[in-house]
Amino acid sequence: MDSHIRRVYVPMTETGFYILLCLREEAHGYSIVKKTEHLTQGEIKISPGTLYGSLSKMEKDGLIRFVREEEKRKIYCITELGTQVLDLEMRRIERLYRSMEEAK
Amino acid sequence: MKEKKTEFRIFTVPEWKKEERYLRERHKNGWEFSSVTFPGFYHFTRCEPKDVVYQLDFNQESETNRSEYIQIFSDCGWEYLQNFCGYSYFRKAASEMNGTEEEIFCDDASRLDMMKRVFMKRITPLLGIFFLMIIPQIMLQSRFNRPENHVLLGIFCIMFVVYLAFFIVFGIQYWKCFKDIHR
Repeated sequence: MDSHIRRVYVPMTETGFYILLCLREEAHGYSIVKKTEHLTQGEIKISPGTLYGSLSKMEKDGLIRFVREEEKRKIYCITELGTQVLDLEMRRIERLYRSMEEAK
Repeated sequence: MKEKKTEFRIFTVPEWKKEERYLRERHKNGWEFSSVTFPGFYHFTRCEPKDVVYQLDFNQESETNRSEYIQIFSDCGWEYLQNFCGYSYFRKAASEMNGTEEEIFCDDASRLDMMKRVFMKRITPLLGIFFLMIIPQIMLQSRFNRPENHVLLGIFCIMFVVYLAFFIVFGIQYWKCFKDIHR
């Protein structure tokens, strides 16, 4: 993982995190929105401009890849690099959570 | 009663928020936006007054993936209207937003990304002309003493002032946008 990826994606935005989390299975844009809404009990609603921007940036940086197109909807999937970034982020969040618990 | 009307408005590059408010205001007053044509004619059709949120995205990269781009927005309930000078126009009725005011961007990172896209595509070319043509020409023309050199020097000095004024205005507007995002 090069320094550019680290700088841009660690730590990442909440939207970015949910996109990568959802793309561990193949999915198109709108199903990421729905799944995130479901996972967060409706608390996080990803907006289309943010979603489209993140998807194209992540595809360009090789975190996700285009799989196929279905009815004008592009289906994406996480890559090896994307999984590494997601793992880093998960460890960071786990650490945050542990610190929070200890401080209680 | 008139069913259609056209208004002339110029919104400079960084004024998209102002333009969004303008279109929303018109719709509230019973004028539905139908299109905008060069250089700034806004066409409206008479409609029932309604609160409709208008949003602009700047995304030229999406030209190649236009249909997918529009699909994502329409899946989320945003109606695509048109493309004008690199900006894509979307709208969604406030009544469809179940209580919370929606925007096409949901975090500051993506709002800043859009500002960066506008800056790269619209302001960088002007900076290029300014530093690679206007300034070198002023330095070159001031070295010679023939009348035509004086004329050219005058023209480039005027361009220098106009461009500089432009950059200052843009700079202030960008700063306002930036503060808006971080408020």
